[in-house]
Amino acid sequence: MLNLRFLLRELVQSRKQATVFVLCVALSIFSMVALNSFRDTVQNLVLGDARSLQGGDLLLHSHYPFGPALMQAVAGLEQSGQVRGTRIYECYSVIRPMAGVRSLLSRLKIVGPGYPLYGRVELQSGLPLETVLTAGRVVAEREVLDRLGLQVGDQVYIGSAVLTIADIILREPDRPVEVFALGPRILISEADLDRLQLIGKGSRVDYGILLKIRDRDADIKAITAGLLRSAQPEQEQVSTALNARSGVKVFFDNLFFFLSLISIFTLLLAGIGMQTSLAALLRGKRTTLAIIKAMGASGGFLFRHYFVLTLGLGLIGSLTGMALGAAVQRLLPVLFTGLLPAGITPALRLADAGQGLLLGLLVVIFFTFLPLQGLRHIRPAALFRQENQSGTRGMLFYPTVAAGLLLLALLIIRQLQDLRIGLYFIAGALALIACIWLLTRALLAASAKIRSPFLGLRQAHKSLFRPGNATGSIIVTLACALSVLLAIYLVRTNLEATYVESYPPEAPNLFFLDIQPDQRQAFIRKTGQAPQLFPVVRARLVSINGQPVRERQQPQQRGDSLTREFSLTYRNNLLADEVVSEGGSLFRRDRSGAVPLQVSVLDTVAEMGDMHLGDRLEFNIQGVPLQAQISSIRTRTKSRLYPFFYFVFPEEFLRDAPQTSFAALHIDPQEITGMENRIVSAFPNISFINMAQTAAELGELARRLAGIVNFFAGFSILAGTLIIIGSILATRLARVREAVYYTILGADSRFVLSVFIYEHLLLGLFSSLIAVMLAQLGSWALCRFLFNIGYLPHWSVSFLLIVLTPLLVVVIGLLSSAGILRQRPAQILREQTGE
Amino acid sequence: MRHVMLTGLALILLFVAGGCRQPAEKAAKKEVDSADGLIIAVGDSLTAGAGVDEQASYPALLQKRLQAAGLHYRVINAGVSGETSSGTLSRLGWILTQKPGIVILETGANDGLRGIDPDLTRANIEKIMARLQAEKIVTVLAGMRMVGNMGGGYTESFRKLYEDVARENGAVFMPFFLEGVAGDPAFNNSDGIHPNARGYEIITDNLFPYVVQAINKRREADEDQKGRASSHLGRALQLFCHFPEHPYSTYRVSYK
Repeated sequence: MLNLRFLLRELVQSRKQATVFVLCVALSIFSMVALNSFRDTVQNLVLGDARSLQGGDLLLHSHYPFGPALMQAVAGLEQSGQVRGTRIYECYSVIRPMAGVRSLLSRLKIVGPGYPLYGRVELQSGLPLETVLTAGRVVAEREVLDRLGLQVGDQVYIGSAVLTIADIILREPDRPVEVFALGPRILISEADLDRLQLIGKGSRVDYGILLKIRDRDADIKAITAGLLRSAQPEQEQVSTALNARSGVKVFFDNLFFFLSLISIFTLLLAGIGMQTSLAALLRGKRTTLAIIKAMGASGGFLFRHYFVLTLGLGLIGSLTGMALGAAVQRLLPVLFTGLLPAGITPALRLADAGQGLLLGLLVVIFFTFLPLQGLRHIRPAALFRQENQSGTRGMLFYPTVAAGLLLLALLIIRQLQDLRIGLYFIAGALALIACIWLLTRALLAASAKIRSPFLGLRQAHKSLFRPGNATGSIIVTLACALSVLLAIYLVRTNLEATYVESYPPEAPNLFFLDIQPDQRQAFIRKTGQAPQLFPVVRARLVSINGQPVRERQQPQQRGDSLTREFSLTYRNNLLADEVVSEGGSLFRRDRSGAVPLQVSVLDTVAEMGDMHLGDRLEFNIQGVPLQAQISSIRTRTKSRLYPFFYFVFPEEFLRDAPQTSFAALHIDPQEITGMENRIVSAFPNISFINMAQTAAELGELARRLAGIVNFFAGFSILAGTLIIIGSILATRLARVREAVYYTILGADSRFVLSVFIYEHLLLGLFSSLIAVMLAQLGSWALCRFLFNIGYLPHWSVSFLLIVLTPLLVVVIGLLSSAGILRQRPAQILREQTGE
Repeated sequence: MRHVMLTGLALILLFVAGGCRQPAEKAAKKEVDSADGLIIAVGDSLTAGAGVDEQASYPALLQKRLQAAGLHYRVINAGVSGETSSGTLSRLGWILTQKPGIVILETGANDGLRGIDPDLTRANIEKIMARLQAEKIVTVLAGMRMVGNMGGGYTESFRKLYEDVARENGAVFMPFFLEGVAGDPAFNNSDGIHPNARGYEIITDNLFPYVVQAINKRREADEDQKGRASSHLGRALQLFCHFPEHPYSTYRVSYK
């Protein structure tokens, strides 16, 4: 049935195309297997029954001491060996060194033995917490020592106790979630609880019990329900790691969804790559195949052999992809460090491997079936004719396409794990291809009308239309790949600008609160910098156009409420990150040039309260009413950690209103403690929030996230490159002939080369122009309507794409056809006739 | 990440805005009979009524109680959540423009929660009291105590500062604003620090006699201004005229 020698020869003959084909399969399998198995691992460990992020499986919490019923329930669970528990008490306290008058507000966490039940507290000494944190000793963040001028080993008054600072805390397990604090952390052993005399009636303490479930298979829901029955409603809360950190789940869901999208794009691009490389392989073989047919081989014979060949190559590709996937499993936890609790070591499971293999073969069959079908239509007469064999579409054509599309749809839905979004995605992808197809046709038709004065360019342009040329499909695939890549980049950058890179390096890391009007100038001098001060006037919104604002009328949006006390401010200019979206300018001037009473609102609050230009807002500033019309609506372009205000008034109307100011500074983390000390000794009323530690950690998180996304997006870029190589290989033969004819007609090699370069430049230019157009439009729509965030077009990147793509296409083209240009025409002609 | 950022944002909002959600103070009600004068409740979130309906905060309850007792005072809620005594001092001018007869001053709790030196809080409150006195405004000073976890030395000096200022200034002094309310889950929100509606009823009950005391002081001061010549009998008559149909003039007797 199968002629092995034939197969082997075919394989060796077309090794270039075969390599591209194998790489395409490997790439698509790799990105899917890597992502899927890792997603399962993460979901099982973090999202399914997440334990580690809150330091325990269950957290009981109350602002009051736990009632006897709940304590009994916990004791019962502990005695039966079902759980292990530890107590935590969190509160603020003013601590003092043994000597001196300085004192410091600190965040105390008094912890029982075994804390934390999951994760670990990193100490400067590198020792485990339980050996350091014994009775009479505490561990503290460095800021405690710096602010009080102490060393490790010094003693401090905490409550009524004198305790020794034994070590420095480098990292707490739950730190990334807790981003905001008024003072540095001190960990204290529960053994010292009574000596502190801080916890009791009249104290403001967060009481907590962390529970670790000993049996991994235990019914966590039943245990939770049992505890909830014993808890006092509204006062004592029982949360599992999952519901306590549901935000973490949402975050990971979003991240994986985005990565899934990228992996599907990679799959599609790789599929296109497979198709073009196979088409290249077959095109090069056409004459040979016709001869074989002439020798009596049936269409079935060719189809069978090539089918086995592609399946074989597909198998090699799938196995390579899975091997890479398994290898990268070791790398992914490193990429995700800091995002995931330590100790997750994903392993490629057999099920994933099997699924990967199946997936690979299905993809191979789908993307190669149609080119292979074409084999049946190769006629011996092709030997004599040079025209393109378009072939009649057999009865199998449409069912095959339909079955293939269905298969692809199922695959996409499975990968995205959402039917509706999967269908949207497919519709979107089809629409994209249709758009690009139409644009390509239009662009080619339009360019056909232009006559260039340069012969080389004219010839290059003509060769785009040479019979049998795949110009249309090359531009479509290339533009598809490029537009998707550019769109991924644009959407990612815009998402990051809003969420991930919310902590850019120059963002403020130290906030000073409660600066009084008469302290403003002195404060600015004391900082030695030029910080911007933001005045805050507290007021309530009373009515909009005479309609009173009430709690119940307002649906809770973004967790905010129109009825809370708002912070008004005044200034006559926009902040650097603000843009007026409606109203033209921040404030209107009247005929005399003066600025009358009016208010500018931020788009988020305008949306929340359905406010429009010209609406009348009435505020109550601590008993004094203030009415103003909306003069403009502002929007913000930067991250949320820059200060922003919903309501801005012209200066003269609020300058004398009751106000305090806050300042946002960015200073070198090394100088923060010094600055804090300087400000506090001059202005004891000013409080501050040190975000430097958080900023550093969030910055690190952002960097890692970008790394992960780039890692997966990189595969799409690789797939795009493979498509270009595949397309050029596909037209190799035609190019060789052309080069030969030009030479025969008297052209020198420079002319041949220039035609060649121009043709590729044109291909690249057309593709990138279409890609930029669609990517910009698509990304804008995605950001605007799906993610609901602002959009920056980053034209420079688009420009770069338009410049680089033609260059890249030329370089790849030259590399993959280097042999063509060097060959002597006579030799080719001889070979051609020899065939 | 998004969540982390949003949490950060929410916290910033909470802090910078000091904002606890709470219904808007409605437009000044015209129907309130303020023939006798204006009382401004100056303070932080404990006055603003963080976490309860505006009608359940103590200034609203107090106005109701006063009106029911035939004392025709309007009570303005000038509480600002998250405010420190420094903030109160800074905005005093704004409050004075409204010409109150009486000010109920409840401030400093946020100083304590931020661990600010009690000497600064004391100096601020002294300045506020002096300014109010200069403007001839009768003041009810609400004493505050700090939560026990701040440390014994700190809570002690914090408690003492209110007593000292009241003694030196001679203001009407309510020793502890949250007496019978603080630390009791039944009278506080689940945050354990802001009173709930029942808590505000207790606060109003406790505060009411001190306000009546201040009202009496106000009247005495007004009479003095009208002419030191007016006789003791005349003053009594004048007072009586204020409560023609209510027996509440006994308050004057009981609390004077």
